[in-house]
Amino acid sequence: MKDKKSAKLNLQHKQHQNGHLSPSTFAKLLDLEASWDKDQLGDVLHWIRQIVALICGLLWGAVPLVGGIWLVAFLLISSGIVYGYYAIILKVDEEEFGGHGSLLQEGLFASVTLFLLAWTLVYSLAHF
Amino acid sequence: MASPFSSFKYSDGLTVVGISICTAVVCEAISWLLIYRTTSYKSLKSSIDRASKKLETMKTDSTVTAAPKKSKTKKIDRVETSLKESSRDLSLFKLKSGAVVALVLFVVFGFLNNLFEGKAVAKLPFVPIRIVQKMSHRGLNGDDMTDCSMAFLYFLCSISIRTNLQKFLGFAPPRGAAGASLFQIPDAAKTN
Repeated sequence: MKDKKSAKLNLQHKQHQNGHLSPSTFAKLLDLEASWDKDQLGDVLHWIRQIVALICGLLWGAVPLVGGIWLVAFLLISSGIVYGYYAIILKVDEEEFGGHGSLLQEGLFASVTLFLLAWTLVYSLAHF
Repeated sequence: MASPFSSFKYSDGLTVVGISICTAVVCEAISWLLIYRTTSYKSLKSSIDRASKKLETMKTDSTVTAAPKKSKTKKIDRVETSLKESSRDLSLFKLKSGAVVALVLFVVFGFLNNLFEGKAVAKLPFVPIRIVQKMSHRGLNGDDMTDCSMAFLYFLCSISIRTNLQKFLGFAPPRGAAGASLFQIPDAAKTN
């Protein structure tokens, strides 16, 4: 029993070491009963933020939505989505993963720069 | 034959993004060649991963018990020190090869600067705060703070593209190493 658990952990560790989100991670995305490794959850939250950043940047630029307030709106929306995912959908105990701060800051800076880049580019190309 | 993007007023922004993407790929290729494929890096990374996971487990176990044993606390300190040492070694190892990447980035920035000096490559959909304006309006004439200089766009590209490329390729630094710095001196008393 102990060997099976350690073999499973080794496999998860190797899958994560590759740095890719493995098929098992994708299968776990909506599995409420799945147990999460800190690194796997961190990676998933990172990519959720990047996808939200890209979508918001493209949308905000296309409409266009202008003004610094929309940067704040993006931060609230993306943080809300990330929080909703890990706290409400997955119902993870945030203390096991370093607290709310640790989970909410996963991929934050990269997502802000990606959002600003997409927003600026679409706005510049579509409206001038 | 005219480029399909030449009709856009700010098509230079796309040039900056394109060059940033190519630079990010080249930098990661150099990093892979000099750092990531070496056995030293792989063994350091796996020892950091192992140590940080072990530390997490030990800390979780010690918070469950009301009064953790002195020996357990000493063990935690030893693993922490070992983790900090490995993280410092990893930083030092990457520093040597990082100099080559820094040189590439510097050369590309210089090239882009010559190409787009004094020219707005994009239009910002917001007015940046004063401290950001120093970069976003760098080298541009006029008072319109929504004009975006190459430097700011390049900065946005570099951070977003390189970070996500590293993450995608699995070259992002291990989470356990995040807290340790190059100049952190391990506590000798704790090691003993």
